[in-house]
Amino acid sequence: MNNFLQKMRGDGQSPPRVSLAEVCWSWIGSFLGIAAVALLHYKLVDQQGLMLLLGSFGASAVLIYGAVRSPLAQPRNLLGGHVFSAIVGVTAFQWLEASPWLAAAVAVSTAIALMHLTKTLHPPGGATALIAVIGGESVYKLGYFYVVMPVALGACVMLAIALIVNNIPKTRKYPEFWL
Amino acid sequence: MSETNSTCCTALDISEMDVIAAMKKIQGYIDISPGDFREVFQVAYAHALQRIKDSLTAQDIMTQPVHCIRLDMDLIQAATFLADKGFSGAPVIDAAGKIVGVLSEKDFLAKMGLGQPTSFMQIVAHCLNNRGCMATSLRNHSVEEIITAPAITAGPEMTMGAISALFIDKRINRLPIVDPEGRPVGIVTRTDLVQSYCLTRSRLAP
Repeated sequence: MNNFLQKMRGDGQSPPRVSLAEVCWSWIGSFLGIAAVALLHYKLVDQQGLMLLLGSFGASAVLIYGAVRSPLAQPRNLLGGHVFSAIVGVTAFQWLEASPWLAAAVAVSTAIALMHLTKTLHPPGGATALIAVIGGESVYKLGYFYVVMPVALGACVMLAIALIVNNIPKTRKYPEFWL
Repeated sequence: MSETNSTCCTALDISEMDVIAAMKKIQGYIDISPGDFREVFQVAYAHALQRIKDSLTAQDIMTQPVHCIRLDMDLIQAATFLADKGFSGAPVIDAAGKIVGVLSEKDFLAKMGLGQPTSFMQIVAHCLNNRGCMATSLRNHSVEEIITAPAITAGPEMTMGAISALFIDKRINRLPIVDPEGRPVGIVTRTDLVQSYCLTRSRLAP
C-alpha cells in the first residue's frame, strides 16, 4: 500500500523545453497540414455531403508535426492507428447502437487493444473510434465508408504534408521508420 | 561468482540531469521522460557489456606465443628465465610439452619463507636486518618442488566473461590456454584481460 502511494509521487523530471526554431517548425507543419485537409473539406468534399476533416486529426497534428521523433507519430502508427480504430468504432456503433455508453467504451478500449497488437498505437486513433460512435448522423450514414473517408484519406493528406515539411529543417527528419 | 563479477563491474551510471542535457543538445521533442531513458540506457549498457563479454573468447585476447618453464629446470634457471623475460610467472611444461603447473613469484616467496606465506616486503626487511639472504634457500631445488599444480587452464573458446569470473574466483593472475591435448597455445594474463575491457568503437558495434 505504501509502495502504491509512493508511486504516485512521480519523482522523475519533465523533459526540457524545445528551441524556438522547433516551435516555429511545429507551427508551420501543423498549420499547413490542417489547412490542406480543411481546404479540401470545405471547398470540395463538404459540398458532396461527405467529410474529410475529423476532430482526431487535431490530435494527430500534435504528434506528426510536434513530436516528429516519437514512435507514436510514425506513418505506420498514423495510418494504421486511424484505420484500425475507425473499423473498430464503426463496428461497435453498428452492433451496440442500443446502448451508446457501452458502444463508446467498447470502441475506444478495443481500438487501443488492436493498436497495441498491431504495433500501430496512435493516441488520436482513440478519438477516431469514439467519433464513429458519438459523431451524429453525418458520421453514421457513412457506415464503413468512414474508414476510407474521412479517416484514411485525411490521414494520407496529413502524412504528405508531414513528409514535406518535416524534412526541410536540418534538425528534423521524418519518418524514423515506415513499417 | 558471476554475482561478485557483476557487482564489481556495474554499468556506467548516468543521472537524469545528464539525460536532460543531452535532450537539450539534440533538436526536437523527444518523446520519453529522462527517467525512462536512463532506465533504457542502463539495461542497454549492461546488455552491450554482456554481448562483448560473450563474443570475445580466450583466443581473441590471449598472448602468443606462450613462454614456458620446463619441469626439469632448477630454480636458478627458472628465476633467470623469468627475470630475462620480465615475467612474474609462467606455465610449466613436462617433457611431452603438456602443462603440468604454473610457477610464479608467489611460489618463490613461499619457498623462501620456508613454506609460510611470505611477502616481498618481509624478505626485504629480513635482508636489511642482516639476517642473510633468504634466496640462498632456493639453491639445489627444482621447479617441480615448488610449482602450483595442477595448473588451472582453459580452452580457446572460453569467453572473456567466464575468464574474468575465474580470475576472481581462483585468485589467479594468468591463465594458460591449452589445446585438447593439454599443450599450451597461449596465455591470458591480467593485462590481456584489462586491455580487452578497453572498448573500442568497432567492438561496441553489434
